[in-house]
Amino acid sequence: MPDSFLISDQNWDRILKELLTENELFAPLASDDVLEYQLVGNEQDLSRIVYNHPKPASPLKTFFLPVKENVTRDIGKERPRIILGIPACDLAGLGLLDEIYLQEPLVDPYYRARREHTLLIGTDCHSIQEHCHCTSYGIRPFPQVHADLGLVRLGDRYLLYTGSEKGEQFIRRHRDTGYFSPAGEADLGKAEALREETTRQLQEKNAALPDYEKTGALIRQSEESIWKKYAATCVSCGACAAICPTCTCFLLIDRPGFEKIRNLDACQYPAFERVAAGEDPLADRHVRFRNRYLCKYVWKPSGFGSIACTGCGRCIEACIGKINKNQLFVELSS
Amino acid sequence: MQEFETITRPAHQNIYKPIRATVDHVIRESPTIMTIGMIPEQEFRFRTGEFIEVTIPGVGEAPFTPSSSPLETTRLEVTVMRAGYVTDRIHQLKKGDVIGIRGPFGRGYPLHKMYGKEIVILGGGCGFAPIRSLLYNLMAEKEKFRKVTLCYGSKTPEECIYKPFIQELRGIDKFEVFRSVDKPDETWEEAVGVVTLLLDDLKVDVPNAVAVIVGPPIMMKFGTLKMQEMGFPDSDIYLSMEKNMSCGLGKCGHCMMGKYFVCKDGPVFSYDEIRDQPDIWK
Ligand SMILES: Cc1cc2nc3c(=O)[nH]c(=O)nc-3n(C[C@H](O)[C@H](O)[C@H](O)COP(=O)(O)OP(=O)(O)OC[C@H]3O[C@@H](n4cnc5c(N)ncnc54)[C@H](O)[C@@H]3O)c2cc1C
Ligand code: SF4
Ligand code: SF4
Ligand code: SF4
Ligand code: FES
Repeated sequence: MPDSFLISDQNWDRILKELLTENELFAPLASDDVLEYQLVGNEQDLSRIVYNHPKPASPLKTFFLPVKENVTRDIGKERPRIILGIPACDLAGLGLLDEIYLQEPLVDPYYRARREHTLLIGTDCHSIQEHCHCTSYGIRPFPQVHADLGLVRLGDRYLLYTGSEKGEQFIRRHRDTGYFSPAGEADLGKAEALREETTRQLQEKNAALPDYEKTGALIRQSEESIWKKYAATCVSCGACAAICPTCTCFLLIDRPGFEKIRNLDACQYPAFERVAAGEDPLADRHVRFRNRYLCKYVWKPSGFGSIACTGCGRCIEACIGKINKNQLFVELSS
Repeated sequence: MQEFETITRPAHQNIYKPIRATVDHVIRESPTIMTIGMIPEQEFRFRTGEFIEVTIPGVGEAPFTPSSSPLETTRLEVTVMRAGYVTDRIHQLKKGDVIGIRGPFGRGYPLHKMYGKEIVILGGGCGFAPIRSLLYNLMAEKEKFRKVTLCYGSKTPEECIYKPFIQELRGIDKFEVFRSVDKPDETWEEAVGVVTLLLDDLKVDVPNAVAVIVGPPIMMKFGTLKMQEMGFPDSDIYLSMEKNMSCGLGKCGHCMMGKYFVCKDGPVFSYDEIRDQPDIWK
């Protein structure tokens, strides 16, 4: 493990309180409704932050690619942001976004600005949700990539570890408080045991699910009939793509004055690929539906290094037609 | 994937922000096709086969391959077929109107792979636009090529565009032009029938030639089959693919064709690169 520190819950809250003055802080906040990344508006909210919890309902991408954004405006100075409590799957999803939006020399300046002024603090998952399947795709349920810092709650203390230069700076900046002490073997061992336990639960739950590569191969060989069968209840609402941490498609809309608005879009909407002559490769619903999985498991892997499905399971939860892609893949592999 | 010419990059900083261009002239080429000449606010360079996004402010944006010479850097022409929302508005442009352009984008024709060879170009409909820019380029470097043969087809004689340009081309040694129409009128003296028929009478030294095809999908499909029949290897058949596009930057996903983003990896591909991808003729 990289540099690891222990901090008491009271002292951690003191640090967060101080950070609130200069940063916008977002974290999953306990609520009667679904768990979401929310703005921590004041000190009182600090006690509502949920740690060690599996993913919030909406993906991390919304912080970097808003649903609508004017992409011709001048970039003003924005307050630095801290996002706290990010599970491994959401962090892994950032890889593909970075590859697409930070690709030199065609860098998206708005995405880059947001990435640069955001500090990412990941968290370990100590429980799993019904459709979590990160481990099937090689992601373990604790921050391994893209987190500046990782944080695990162990009883009344936190284990904090660095993941990037930005994270190390954070520690250096707060070291003088005297709140941090080096983590010992016992605490690290405890954190590791909890990781093992979550991993075990995930593996057990998804034992029948083929891995990422195998899924790609299965999709390549698949017959059209299985897509017809599973797409039967698809209403082309695009919720699966909207909620997916790695779906990044958009449409530029023009406004007067040469302004352009980048609107998130999805291949699940009819006419996404239609050309003026009327041709539309994705005209049929089941072909459109299949396109999403070809994109994730076949095409993106051949052009990008980052994983295009993080196994978060959100698309299954969000589907109005109750379509479960994992069921489809299990059927394909049997 | 093959290394083509190095991709030229947009000069401006914000990839989404168009530069302004003032319409300088409009030429009605046919009832449905118009050429728009414009003067960009700053020097604008592109390589033949690369494309630009044209913005009609407040209306929309659409991709076009410049039809003018890539050697000109202060003015630019696009030849636009009226096909829908944005192109309708483009057809209403007049001298003095200010529009926007982004680009150039994508990968154009691999000219260096064509040096020393004979070039057989098959074009149809508005596919002539990118071909004209290619031809300007070939004309400027004609000592580097053995021969250039253009086979061009349109529906009617009325839809045969660039008439003065064809005249000019016919006067240049090493350049040959054959044309056909589906429906002739009494004035038509050239071939009648689908454009691929023009290839039947050509004498091509196939091992020392390359093929370039641009046009509607169905024409590109049959053109490719025909070139294969003539003995062209798939790697010597260059196609300019047309897909739905929005960003031109390899980001928005609209132009995905299997593993490729047509806007970034293309729009020019050799057939061997794309033959295994889905829906290439759609
Ligand atoms: C690389 C490239 C080069 C092109 N070069 C030329 C050219 O030189 N001359 C020419 O006349 N046409 C060219 N086209 C086709 C031209 O871009 C379309 O005819 C145009 O986008 C249609 O827009 P519309 O709004 O008038 O049509 P609509 O049918 O109203 O289109 C609505 C939307 O669908 C999308 N769309 C529809 N058809 C196409 C299409 N064929 N290609 C891309 N997006 C589409 C666009 O996002 C458009 O905003 C080219 C296309 C590409 C991809
Ligand atoms: S998919 Fe894995 S990392 Fe994501 S929330 Fe579930 S257990 Fe955590
Ligand atoms: S495809 Fe589904 S499971 Fe995979 S990352 Fe997207 S929302 Fe999560
Ligand atoms: S699945 Fe569809 S919406 Fe998602 S990234 Fe791929 S093409 Fe875009
Ligand atoms: S047009 Fe946006 S990715 Fe190609």
